Amino acid sequence: MTLLTILSVLAIPSLALSAYLLFREYESKGVIEKREQDIGRRMYELAILKEIGDRVGYSLDVQQIVDIITSSLHQFIEYAAVSYMLLEPEKVIFKMHLERSVHRRFVVDVRDRMLGSLGALLEREFNKNSVKEILSGAILIEDLDEPVQSFFNIPLVIGDKVVGILTVADTKAGLYKEEEMTILYKLIQQASKAVTRLQDVVRTEQEKVSAMVESMEDGVVMTDADYRILVINPAAKRIIGQEKKVEITIFDFIDNLGGKMDMRGRLEESVKLKKSFVSERFELRDKFYQSFVFPVKTRTALSEGDVLGGVVIFHDVTREVELERVREDFTSMIVHELRTPLSGIQKASELLKKPVAKKSSATSKQYVDIIYQNSSGMLDLVNDILDAAKLQAGKFEITREPADITEVIANRISFFDISAGERKIRLSVAASEDVPKTAPLDVQRVKQVLNNLISNSLKFTAEGGTVSVAVVLHEPGAAINDEFRKMKASVADLLPEEQFKALSQSLAIAVTDSGIGIEAASLPKLFSKFKQLDNKALVPNIKGTGLGLAIAKGIIEGHGGIIGVVSKVGVGSTFYFTLPAAHKEA
Amino acid sequence: MKHILIIDDDETFKSLIQSAFDTAKYSVALAADGVEGLKSMGEKRPDIILLDIKMPNMGGIEFLKEINKKYGEGKTPILITSNISSMDTISEGVVLGIRGYVLKSNESLQGIVEAVERVFNTAV
Repeated sequence: MTLLTILSVLAIPSLALSAYLLFREYESKGVIEKREQDIGRRMYELAILKEIGDRVGYSLDVQQIVDIITSSLHQFIEYAAVSYMLLEPEKVIFKMHLERSVHRRFVVDVRDRMLGSLGALLEREFNKNSVKEILSGAILIEDLDEPVQSFFNIPLVIGDKVVGILTVADTKAGLYKEEEMTILYKLIQQASKAVTRLQDVVRTEQEKVSAMVESMEDGVVMTDADYRILVINPAAKRIIGQEKKVEITIFDFIDNLGGKMDMRGRLEESVKLKKSFVSERFELRDKFYQSFVFPVKTRTALSEGDVLGGVVIFHDVTREVELERVREDFTSMIVHELRTPLSGIQKASELLKKPVAKKSSATSKQYVDIIYQNSSGMLDLVNDILDAAKLQAGKFEITREPADITEVIANRISFFDISAGERKIRLSVAASEDVPKTAPLDVQRVKQVLNNLISNSLKFTAEGGTVSVAVVLHEPGAAINDEFRKMKASVADLLPEEQFKALSQSLAIAVTDSGIGIEAASLPKLFSKFKQLDNKALVPNIKGTGLGLAIAKGIIEGHGGIIGVVSKVGVGSTFYFTLPAAHKEA
Repeated sequence: MKHILIIDDDETFKSLIQSAFDTAKYSVALAADGVEGLKSMGEKRPDIILLDIKMPNMGGIEFLKEINKKYGEGKTPILITSNISSMDTISEGVVLGIRGYVLKSNESLQGIVEAVERVFNTAV
C-alpha cells in the first residue's frame, strides 16, 4: 500500500507535470504557428508591395498605378469586384473589374455608394451623368440578382489631396475584417507616398527650371511643333510690350516684332529642318536684341530624338551697342581733336618752307605761333588720354605732401586771371579762416582738378559773369551748406548734405559760375568717361575731349574725397570736391 | 582778280589758307559759319567758295541749300573743304551742285590752291 501510495504520490505530480508540459508544448506550438502565419503573410505582403512597386516604377500616372494595384489585389483579398473612381477636371472615371459575374444592379449599387463616399470626402455633389464607366473581367448575368453584402472603401490621397477612391465589394457578407483592411490600407498608402514623393521631386525640379527661366533677363519662348507657346518668361513679354497679357500667342510676337525678325519662319526651319538660327541685331522699342532660335529635341543616350518644338531667345544687346557707339564717338572725337591741330601744324610748316623772300618775319612768327599752340593743345590731349588710360587700369597714383590748399587755389586763380579778364568775367576766391595751413595733397594733381573746373566754368560763362572759388573746413557731421553760408560763399544750388555726412574732417572746395547751367538729366553723365555734353550747339567753339571731369574724379577719389556738381539752368553750376584734412593709411 | 570766300570755323586753317593764295591774283574773304558766309556773299559775290561742313550756327549743307534758294543752283563754284569723308555728305553736296571735294587734312595748302585753280581753268 505504502509503495502504491508512494507511487501514486509520485505519479500524480509527474502526470500533472507531463500534462502541464504537454499543454505548454501545445500552447507554444499555437504561438509559433500563429507567428509563422504572421510572418508568412507579412512576407506575402512585402512581395506584393515589391511587385507593385516594381510595376509602378517611376510612373506619375495615377490611373496607371491604380490599375496595377487593382490587378494584383485578388492575390490576397477576396472580392467579386474591385473598382476605383478618379477625379478628372470634367468627369469622374469609374472603372470596375469583375472577378465573378454579377447582376447589373450590383454594379450600379457599388457605383452609387462610391460616388456618395467621394462626395462626402470632398464635400461636393457629383452628377451621375459625369461618370465615365469602364467595366472589365467577368460578364454581367441577369439571373444572379445578389445584392452588395460586403463593401469597403479606401480614399486615394496624393500629396494631401483626395484624388479618388478604391473599393472592393462582394455578394457574400462579412468578408472584410481588420486584417484585409489593414493590408489594403498599407498598399494604398505605400503607392500614394511613392507618387507624392515623386511628384515633389518633379515639382522641385520644375520649379528650379521655371524659376531660372522666369528670372532670366533674356526673353525665352518655347513653342511646340505647331508653334503654340508652351513656355514664356516675363522678359519675353516685356520685349514685345505685352507684360500684362496672360495668354500670349505666336501672333503677338509676329505683330510686335514688326517684321524685324521672322519668328514663325525661323521656328519652322528649326522644327522641320532641325536648324539653329542666330539673327542680326535688331532694334525694338528703343532696345537692341539679337535672337537665337533652336529646335527642342528629345534626346536619349543612343539617338537624337524627335523635335518637340522650338525655343527662341531674345538677348538684349543694348548695352553693347551703346558701348560701341560711345567708342566710335570717342575715336572720331580723338581723331578730330588730333587731326585739326596736326593739319594746322603741317600747313603752317608748308608756308614756312616757302622761299624766304616771300614772307616777312611777322608772318613767320605767326606760323610758328600756330605750330606752338597746336602742338601744345595736342600734348594736353595726349596727356588727358594717358590719364584716362591710367584711370581705366586703376593705376592712378597719388603722391601726398603737406601743402597749403589756399596757396594752390591762389596760384590757379592768378593763372586764369588774364583769360578771365579778357572776357570780362570776375574771378574771385574766398577761404574760411579755419582752413589749415597744411594738408596732405598731391599738389600737381589738385592743380589739374582746379584747372579743369575753373577753365570749364570760364568756358560756359558769358562775358560779364562771375566765377568764384570757395574753400571751407568741413567738420564731420556738420551741414556743408551752413559752412559755406557762414562765409557768404554762394552756390548754384544746395549741395547734397548726405554726401558729406560720413566724411572725416575735410577741405571742401566749390567752384561756382554764373554760366548757362546744366540740365538735370545730363548731370549723372558728367563724370563718366567718353561723355561730353552736347554743349557745342549752345556755345560755339568749345572743344574738348570730355575726359577732364572723369580724370578729376579719379584724382579726388584717389585722395579719398568726393566730387560732384549741382546746377540750375540759366543760373549757373557749382562743382565741388573734398580732400581729407589728414591722411589715413588704408 | 578772283574773289575767294572761305567759310570755316577753324581759325588756323583759314589764316593759313589765306596766306597760301597769291595776293596778286586773288582777294580773300573769311567767314566762320554759314550765317557769316551768307552775309559776306551779300557784300561781294565770290568767284569760288571753300566750304567746311561741320560748323556751329549754320553748317555747310544748310548753307548750300540757302544759296541755291537765293542765287539759283550752281551759280557759284563751290569746293567743300572738310575732314568729313562720309559718302552721304559728299553725295548730298553733289546733289546740291558742288564742284569738288577736298579732304582738308589730306591735302597740302598748295594742293588746295591747285584745286581752286583747276576749277577756274575748267570754268566755262
